[in-house]
Amino acid sequence: MHTSSGRSRRVVTYAAVTALAASLLAACSSDDDGSAGDGKITLNVGTFGVLGLKQAGLYEEYEKAHPDIRIKENVIERNDAYYPKLLTQLQSGAGVNDVAAIEVSNITEIVQTQGAKFEDLGKAEGVEKSAYLDWKWKQATTEDGKTVGLGVDIGPTALCYRKDLFEKADLPTDREQLAKEWAGDWDKYVALGEKYMKKAPKGTKFVDSASSVYNAVFAGATERYYDENGEEIYEKSQGRKDAWDAAMKVARGGMSAKLKQFDPTWDQGFANARFATVACPAWMAGYIQEKTGPGGKGKWDMAKAPTDGNWGGAFLGVPSAGKHKKEATELAVWLTRPEQLAKIFAKQASFPSTPSVYDELKPSAATKAYFSDAPITRIYAGVAKNIPSAVYGVKDAQIGQSITDIGVLQVEQQGKSPEEGWEAAQKEIKDVLGQ
Amino acid sequence: MSETTEYAETPLPGPSGEGGAARPATAGRASSPTTSSWRSRLYRWDTKASPYVFVAPFFLFFGAFGLFPLLYTGWASLHRLELTNLNDSTWLGLENYTNLLQSDYFWNALGNTFTIGVISTVPQLAMALGIAHLLNYKLRGSTLWRVAMLAPYATSVASASLVFTLLFAWDGGMVNWMIGSVGFDPVNWRESSWGSQFAVSSIVIWRWTGYNALIYLAAMQAVPHDLYESASLDGASRWQQFRHVTIPMLRPTILFTVVVSTIGATQLFGEPLLFGGTAGSKGGADHQFQTLGLYLYDQGWINGHLGRASAVAWLMLLILLLIAAVNLLIARRLRKDR
Amino acid sequence: MKTRARTMGLKAGRTMHAGPLTYAVLSLFTAISLAPLVWTAIAASRTQGRLARTPPPLWFGGNLFKNLERAWKEASLGDAMLNTTIVAGSITLGTVLFSTIAGFAFAKLKFRFSGALLVLTIGTMMVPPQLSVVPLYLWIADLQWTNQLQAVILPTFVSAFGVFFMRQYLVQALPSELIEAARMDGASSLRIIWHVVFPAARPAMAVLGLLTFVMAWNDFLWPIIALNQSNPTVQVALNSLGTGYIPDRAVIMAGALLGTLPLLLAFILFGKQIVSGIMQGAVKG
Repeated sequence: MHTSSGRSRRVVTYAAVTALAASLLAACSSDDDGSAGDGKITLNVGTFGVLGLKQAGLYEEYEKAHPDIRIKENVIERNDAYYPKLLTQLQSGAGVNDVAAIEVSNITEIVQTQGAKFEDLGKAEGVEKSAYLDWKWKQATTEDGKTVGLGVDIGPTALCYRKDLFEKADLPTDREQLAKEWAGDWDKYVALGEKYMKKAPKGTKFVDSASSVYNAVFAGATERYYDENGEEIYEKSQGRKDAWDAAMKVARGGMSAKLKQFDPTWDQGFANARFATVACPAWMAGYIQEKTGPGGKGKWDMAKAPTDGNWGGAFLGVPSAGKHKKEATELAVWLTRPEQLAKIFAKQASFPSTPSVYDELKPSAATKAYFSDAPITRIYAGVAKNIPSAVYGVKDAQIGQSITDIGVLQVEQQGKSPEEGWEAAQKEIKDVLGQ
Repeated sequence: MSETTEYAETPLPGPSGEGGAARPATAGRASSPTTSSWRSRLYRWDTKASPYVFVAPFFLFFGAFGLFPLLYTGWASLHRLELTNLNDSTWLGLENYTNLLQSDYFWNALGNTFTIGVISTVPQLAMALGIAHLLNYKLRGSTLWRVAMLAPYATSVASASLVFTLLFAWDGGMVNWMIGSVGFDPVNWRESSWGSQFAVSSIVIWRWTGYNALIYLAAMQAVPHDLYESASLDGASRWQQFRHVTIPMLRPTILFTVVVSTIGATQLFGEPLLFGGTAGSKGGADHQFQTLGLYLYDQGWINGHLGRASAVAWLMLLILLLIAAVNLLIARRLRKDR
Repeated sequence: MKTRARTMGLKAGRTMHAGPLTYAVLSLFTAISLAPLVWTAIAASRTQGRLARTPPPLWFGGNLFKNLERAWKEASLGDAMLNTTIVAGSITLGTVLFSTIAGFAFAKLKFRFSGALLVLTIGTMMVPPQLSVVPLYLWIADLQWTNQLQAVILPTFVSAFGVFFMRQYLVQALPSELIEAARMDGASSLRIIWHVVFPAARPAMAVLGLLTFVMAWNDFLWPIIALNQSNPTVQVALNSLGTGYIPDRAVIMAGALLGTLPLLLAFILFGKQIVSGIMQGAVKG
């Protein structure tokens, strides 16, 4: 009995010492109240995946100009994990980031339900309302005129297509000609898809997914899921119907590669040239380039989409529960200045929400060459200026997801009829809204 | 609890022998008979109280960090409570529950949880038992075998799911490639109902089999060696030894793994969520692999209906308690019959 | 069966040698176990462009160290690993210690309400962890613990699983006679814990410690909510890898590999001890 008790005692003693040391260390390292010992203020910026503030070197630049400020970015990969956490933080008033990013599909809910928990950036020093796109500004402004977030990027949407595949399918490859061919009408785009499928190069489809067509068409809708009074109108909304119909034609016509966007297999779809077109909001251009790889250089091109729309984008807000509201406000204002947004565009093609810089925007040379020297800036700027103002609603994000990830997917991948798909989507939306 | 009666009894003669002599009495206030009675009282107090002291830390921590969430969700399940406004709640009574019981999604999730639970737990435990048995032999490089078996458990759900998602990708995935090479059509592993449940289960089986094997192995080591010796003297083959010695001796541990796996299966969450990719909380376009854990997450975290999500959680709890009660009844009946 | 086990005392361990078939079966399972991990390493050694092409790579490329370095830097894994070691170490210690003594009480001591308390303990396992997130956050916020390590240590400092595990183990592995004999000798409860329970429980403690450490290391749902990247655990830090504008999957895989590596290394380094802890059973000879 005693041979092992000596040993076990040693084990326990080691463990106890380790634990003691550990808790001491924990006590030291958990000091994180935002003001470090050297008198510097640490500002936490909370973002989800795609903003590019750090990548464009903006934090570094700001820190250089403000030696007493340190910036930390807290990123969460997916917005569907980031956003609920943001809500929980706002509710509890603890652990909030000094500056918080808000995705466009959540902005209405934030404005309508969390408005009181944000600083009014509209009144902040150095903010010019006129610098921002009018609809973008309005999206983040409460009924009583408080602006809870400043626009970072928007998602003007064009169509990207592979010239090499179009050529093999005997379709025109000139961007002007294509744009003219489908101008104003997504049905014409779908008709081109039918043509493509007749002579499609082996193993390729016309689009990546039916959902991306849905999103692209819906991006240009004037009537969305809600009316001005905040009532849900998704059932009879014209914008929703048009988008749905287009997606159904693509799904039923076998034109889709049946991929799911942002899946690893979607990436493979790019790399293996499995589809000829993809709706490309500005923020997606870099994605296409990176995922298709060097072999796709000069094979991709970009044309104006049938309708002008906005897909995606983000805002920066300053939660009132933050510890350094003044400094955080200054930072948020600085980060969303036109000249800063232009730097983000140069880095990763996220399109600024400030039209004043549209004429000076320069995409990186690599991006330009990748898309066959298409006039990227001109295309996106043109779209940005024509984006219709539309009514956004509280649960836009969840409704949209119910339609694409339930309804469209059932038809596209499970072989259900469009009626069944729509019924399932409606049922899902009711559940989502808690009806 | 019964300390008062304790003191009323006449004190037993104090314990004597080495144990007492090794530690000189520190209470110097009395002569040796009183010391011994003092000590015996202390001793008896010790035997009475120590069980409570031993279980106290667990309940203290649970009370501090587990009870509040439990009560909070109990309260929330009776209210309309939204993630966007936790300070504003409307009393609903049992409405969340009745709504759930009428919801197809809830029953669907319950069914999926059950089927995925069965097809992942049963093979997992059976294989674990077999592997543990093999690991229990004298092996060359036994450490390495054990480490290898446990490697899947060391892999985070996130990276495991990512790898399996690629394996099961319907276009260009390894599994479909193999199926194709023997002449079958590719399976849409994520959007078919049995295919997706199989895929999710395979992640679970892969991650947890080695873990359970290790638990079994630890228990097998405590089986007295002589039992096997006498069994082999009786002419029992290895298989018979396994069946008639190992398994009965492991019964408490097997019961443990069954209970834990059942609970784990009921709460299955990370694997299907990440296997689903974007909108993973829906568990597929037709909710074909949405488990109760996912449904709860979808309701509470994605849709923001905390009250409803709380009701799901409490229903899950009730279901587990029901299973436990039924189990207990069956066990009792069996014992009586014997 | 029970009485037999008791008369045998604590003598444990088997000496039967494995045959070739055993090795063959184990090799198969090992291959299945390791394949995804090996593939993670292969993916981490490639570029994301190569990863995207079908068929996926089946052998190592030359980018491993570049990707590992990027993952290490971008996710600042150094700090994260220190934090996680603290977190997982503390949780493991708390869980093993408190589970052993509570499990012992439930297994071998008679006290009022022991049955009900055990059922309650098991019952606490049934609360779905996803749900506790919001109330727990409110609670942590009240305590002003957000973004601090105790916010992820203390809520999982004890575990019902552990208590139940130790109980089930000790019921069988610790002969009641030993405790009675110690009591006869006048040993106090603490001495019994130290000299009887701990030695007998050692194999199970080793296993529980190992399992708890790994679980705490890999826990992500609550840490991602409770902490941020200024004071992250490994899983929180790794979450930032997927967030570049264009998530580089080779780097993500490299991060996943780095996140698992310390665990595997620990297994191999301390494996001998853990294994011998298990092998020796309670008592030698």
